[in-house]
Amino acid sequence: MSDQTYPKGQEALPGLQLEKVDDRIMTLNVGPQHPGSGHMRIILKVDGDYIVHCDPDPGYVHRGEEKMAEYRNYITNIPHLERPVIHDSCNILYPYCLGVEELLGIEVSERAKYLRVIAAELNRCVYTEYWLGIYGIFLGHSTMFMWPVGDRELLIDLLDKMTGARVTHAYFVPGGVRNDVPANFEDVCLRQVNYFEKRLKEYADVFYDNPILISRTKDTGVLSREDAIKLGTTGSVLRASGVDFDIRKKEPYDVYEELDFQTNVLKEGDSYARSKIPWLDMLESCRIIRDALQKMPKSGSVRVKLKPKPKGGDTEVYRRVESGRGALAMHIVSDGNSQPYRIKINVPSFRNLIAMPHLLTGEKLGNLPPVYWSLNYWPVEADR
Amino acid sequence: MSSADSTEIVKTDDSSLAPDLDKSLSDSISKKFSNIEIAYVKPDRIRVNVKKEEIIAVATFIRDELNFDHAESVSGVDYPKDKQIEVVYHLGSYTDTSLAKKILALATRTPREDNPRPGNDSTKLPSLRDVFPSVSFHERECFEMLGVYFDGHPDNRRLLLPEDWADIPPLRKDFAIKGR
Amino acid sequence: MSVIAPKFRLGYLIKGITDNIFWIIVLVTLMGIPAIQIVLIYIDFPVIDGEIWNPFRVLDAMTHPERALPLVKNFMQTDLFKIIAFPGFGFAALIAAAVIFVERKMLAKLQLRVGPFYCGKVEGILQLMADGLKLISKEIIIPAKADKPLFWVSPVLFAATAGAFVALIPVAPGWVVADIDLGLLAVFAVIGFFPIITIVSAWSANSKFPFIGGIRALYQMVSFEIPLILSLLGIVMLTGSLNLVEIVESQVNFPWIIFMPVGAIVFFICILAELERIPFDLPEAESEIVAGWLTEFSGMMYGLVQLGSYLKLYAFAALFVVLFLGGWNGPVIVPPFPAEIVTDGITVMPDALTVEIVGLPLFTHEMINGTIWFILKTVGVIFFILLPRGVFPRVRIDLLLKIGWYKLIVLAFVNIFIALALVYGGIIGPGGIL
Repeated sequence: MSDQTYPKGQEALPGLQLEKVDDRIMTLNVGPQHPGSGHMRIILKVDGDYIVHCDPDPGYVHRGEEKMAEYRNYITNIPHLERPVIHDSCNILYPYCLGVEELLGIEVSERAKYLRVIAAELNRCVYTEYWLGIYGIFLGHSTMFMWPVGDRELLIDLLDKMTGARVTHAYFVPGGVRNDVPANFEDVCLRQVNYFEKRLKEYADVFYDNPILISRTKDTGVLSREDAIKLGTTGSVLRASGVDFDIRKKEPYDVYEELDFQTNVLKEGDSYARSKIPWLDMLESCRIIRDALQKMPKSGSVRVKLKPKPKGGDTEVYRRVESGRGALAMHIVSDGNSQPYRIKINVPSFRNLIAMPHLLTGEKLGNLPPVYWSLNYWPVEADR
Repeated sequence: MSSADSTEIVKTDDSSLAPDLDKSLSDSISKKFSNIEIAYVKPDRIRVNVKKEEIIAVATFIRDELNFDHAESVSGVDYPKDKQIEVVYHLGSYTDTSLAKKILALATRTPREDNPRPGNDSTKLPSLRDVFPSVSFHERECFEMLGVYFDGHPDNRRLLLPEDWADIPPLRKDFAIKGR
Repeated sequence: MSVIAPKFRLGYLIKGITDNIFWIIVLVTLMGIPAIQIVLIYIDFPVIDGEIWNPFRVLDAMTHPERALPLVKNFMQTDLFKIIAFPGFGFAALIAAAVIFVERKMLAKLQLRVGPFYCGKVEGILQLMADGLKLISKEIIIPAKADKPLFWVSPVLFAATAGAFVALIPVAPGWVVADIDLGLLAVFAVIGFFPIITIVSAWSANSKFPFIGGIRALYQMVSFEIPLILSLLGIVMLTGSLNLVEIVESQVNFPWIIFMPVGAIVFFICILAELERIPFDLPEAESEIVAGWLTEFSGMMYGLVQLGSYLKLYAFAALFVVLFLGGWNGPVIVPPFPAEIVTDGITVMPDALTVEIVGLPLFTHEMINGTIWFILKTVGVIFFILLPRGVFPRVRIDLLLKIGWYKLIVLAFVNIFIALALVYGGIIGPGGIL
C-alpha cells in the first residue's frame, strides 16, 4: 500500500486517495457522465493544454462476472458470459465453447463450424461499426456516426434471422450452435454482405480521406513496435504498429485454415493507422463470409446432445480467439464438478489499457478523443 | 531474437511438431532450474510450477533465452483446501513465429490466511513487472480480487472495485454472493 | 405537471366564475379607469396626413379596414416597426427559426435518416415550437459558487449583441434599422463584443469545463477577427465608403465577388469560425469538455444563447450578401404596379366587383423586388454555411490557430494587393473604366 496518512476519521474508506491541490496543474475528471469517455473514468492532470498525468479508472460497470460464473454450470454460463460485450457476443463465447469442448471431449460437426465462423465474422463487423461510429462522434463528425450505425442494422438483421436475437445472441453452445439457419439464409446473407461491402468503401471518401481527420490523427499517439510488443497489446493496436499477429492465422481454430483472407498490418503506429485497421478488417470479414457461405456443407447436424449438467475433468484449459478488439482468451479451471472452479476472462480491452497512460502522458488535451478511442477500448468488457 | 513480419500462412502439422518443440522448451527450463516442476506438456500448452522465490529468475530466463516476450494474462485461483492461492502467468511470443501458437503457463503459489488483511499479511508475491511490463494492470486486479500483494509493484491500488469496498477480496472462495 | 382532476362540483365552478368577475371589476375600476383618464388628458392624438386620429376613428377603422390603411402605413415608417418586425428582430427570428429546421432536415437527409418527423402533420414542421416550449418549461439551475449577476446576464447580453448586429444590415432600399455612415466599422465593433461575452459567461460559471471552453472560444474568436477585418479592407478600398447602403448601391451592375474572390473565401472561413460552426466548433460541443462554455446553461438561458447564435448566423450571411453578392440588386421580378392603384383602388372582378381601397400598396415594388432577391441570396449563403456540418470533423486548437494567424492573414493581404492593383490600374473606383 502506498504510505499515505489519512486524516482522522477517514480511514474507513479503504480506497481513498488524497492529493494536494496545485496552482498550475488542473485535475480533470473525464468521468463516466461525460460525452467523451464511454463508461469509465480517466483522471487527467493537465498543465495548460498538455496532459501531465493520466490515470485510467475502470470499474464503473464491474459486475463480478468471473465470480458469478463459478455458481453456474457449463450450460447456464452461456447467456451469462456473453454479457460483457453484448453485440460481439459470439466472439466472447467462442473461446469458452472451444475450451469446454476440450474439457468435455466433444467433437463439432463441419456445418456447425462454418456457421460459427459466419456468426463470429458478422459480430466482428457489428462491433466495429459501432466503434467507428463512436470514433466519428468523438471527433465531431456526426455523419460518421450515423452512417456506420445505420449500416450496422443490415448485419443485425442477418443475425436476427440466424439466431433469433439482435444482440446477446447466446448462439454458441459447447458442441456446435444452438439452431440451424432458415432456408433462404444463404442468398439473403450474400446480398446483404455485398451491399454492406459497397457501403464500407464509401467511408473512405467521407472519413479516411478527409483532410481534417488526417491532420488531427496523423502522428498522434505513436506506439512504437517495441513498445507494442513489450506492453502486450493486442488486436488492431498491435497490427497498426507493424506486428503481424492474428490468431485466426497463427493459431487457427474451427475452419479458418480453409478460408482465404489476409491480415492487415500498418507500420506507422499512430491514431490514424489504428483507426484504419478495423475498417480494413471489416472488408476482410466480408470476404470470409462469402467464402464460408460457399464452402459450407449443405446439410448436417449443428448441435451435439449433452447431458443436463456435464462434468469436466480435473484439468485446466486456455483457449483464445481473435475478436473485434483483439485476442480474447479464457482460462477455465475445472475440478471435476459440473460448475467450473474458476473462469478467467482475458479481455483485449483490459490488455490494451496499459497503453493508455503510456500514450496519453505528454499529449495535448485536444488529442484525448482520437488517441483514447483508437485503442479500441470497450469499457464494459474491461470491467467484466 | 528473430523478428518476422511475413504474412504467409505457415502450415505446420501440429501433432508431429508440437511434442518436439514443446518438449525441447520444457527440457531447457528443467535443465537450467532444478527446483521447478513441469506440470504438463500438451500440444502448444506447457505449464511450469515454480516456487515464489525463484519466479523472477525463471521468468527472466524464459524471456531472454526462450523468446517469450509478453505476458498475456495473470489469473489467480484460490485453493482453500491447500490453504494456498495460485497465480498463473500465461506467456506468449509475438516476435518468434515458431512460438506463435504456444502459451507457457508459469504458476506459483503463496500461502493464504483465513482473515485476510490485503497488503499486511503473508500473502505476498514478487512482482514480475520489471520482467514483463504488460502485467501491471493484471497484478493490480489480482491484488484487489484475491488479496495477493505484489512486492515491487509501484502501484498496488484498487482498479475495478469501488473505493468503499470494505469486505474480503471477492474472488476468494469464502466470499459468498448473497442469495446463492 | 400532471394533476389528477378533482371531482366536478357545480358550486365550485360558480364560485370560480364569480371570483374572476369580481376581481376583473375591481382591477378595471381602481386601475384601468384612472389610467385611461391620464392617457386621455396628457397624451395628444397622433396626426397623420393632416387628420387627427381620435378613438372614434380607430373604432371606425376596425369595422372598415380600408380606412385604417394610412395608420398602418404611418406605423410602418416608424423606427419601432423597423426594430420589431422588418428588417429587425421579427424578420431575423423568422429566418433563424426556418434555418434551424432546415438544418436539421438537411443534415438528416445527408446522413441517411429522416430528421424531425412526428411533430406536426407535414414532416415535423412544428418541431421547433415543441423544442421552444420544452426549453421554457425547464428549471434553470445555477451552480452554487457561480458569479450570479454575471451568469444571469450573459445569455441576455449574447442575444442582445446579436440583435444589435442584425440592426446594422440593410435589407431593401430604405429599409435598415440603423443607417450609420461608418456602418462597417460599427459591424466590427459589435463583432468584437462576442469574445468578451463568451469569456464572461465561461468565467462566471466557475467550473472547469466551461473554463477551458471559454479560453478556447476566446482564442478562436480573437484570432479569426483579424483576417475578417483585413479581408473586407479590399471592398472598402474599391467602394470608397464604409456605409453599407452605399456599398450595396455600388454593386448595381456587378457584385464584388467577381473581383475579390480571395477576400470572399477568407471572409467565409472567418464566418464559420466566428459562428463556432463545424469544423470550428471547439468551444461548444467538444467530446473532451462536455459542452464548453455552454455547459452550465439550462432551460431558457440555453434557448437565449441558441437564439443569439442563429441570429448571428443570419446576420453574418446577410453581411456576406451585402458586401460581396450585391445585396438587394437583381433583375426585376415583380413588375411595377400600375399608377391607377394608388388613386382609384384595385379592381377585383372587372365587371362585377370593384373594390376601391385607396393607398393599398403598402410596399413599393422596389422594396418587394429587393427583399425577394435578398432572401434568395441569404438562403443560398446559409446553405453553404450549414453544409460543412455533415462533412467535416472538428479541428484541434493548435491547427486552428495556425490557420487563423498564418494562412488567412496572408490570403487577406493578397486580397488587399489585388484591390490596390485594381484601383491604381484605373479599372474600378473613382475615374475608372467600370
